[in-house]
Amino acid sequence: MTGIHDLGGSPGAGPIDKSQHETEDWERLADAITVALDKKALKTTDEHRRAIESLDPGRYKKLGYYERWIAATELLLVEKGILTSEEIDEKAAEFEESWG
Amino acid sequence: MTPTKFEPGDRVRVRTEEKPGHVRTPGYVRGKIGRIEKALGTFKNPESLAYGGSGLPEKPLYKVGFRQTDLWDKYTGQANDILYIDLYAHWLEPARQETS
Repeated sequence: MTGIHDLGGSPGAGPIDKSQHETEDWERLADAITVALDKKALKTTDEHRRAIESLDPGRYKKLGYYERWIAATELLLVEKGILTSEEIDEKAAEFEESWG
Repeated sequence: MTPTKFEPGDRVRVRTEEKPGHVRTPGYVRGKIGRIEKALGTFKNPESLAYGGSGLPEKPLYKVGFRQTDLWDKYTGQANDILYIDLYAHWLEPARQETS
């Protein structure tokens, strides 16, 4: 069995959803942060892919493309001891408060 | 084990073993027979990079062509359509017999 990410040819996977949408600001930011962490040699693309693939299958299905990127980046930041989950949750709560 | 070296035109079969962790060989080519199109050089091994490893020694990477009709039971495109995919040498073994 291959992982949840390896969908090509799986029975019942259905056709590829090729619909497009305008890139949203948070998606640009998710991309920028991920690339910046690579440039600073704090993580690699391969680690990021591995982290995405390690997401719980149910969660993987539910999340969108850049949501998976963010979840994987958070996982790596915590794994590498750069940030703690508490610090990230605290900051997220702060943002939620100021942005509603 | 020293990595197998292949030449353009060589027939190869993709290994089917389940390798835990991050791999760059999708399920739909496992066990399939294709033909080496081009040797692409050696690259750091993503299976090691994905876990913060050095990726060394570098692994030979090949562009491999597969007949679409060999990959998909219900392929409805042109009979001579080829799918090209980059695969690392350690996922390939020599294949002598012709496909049906």
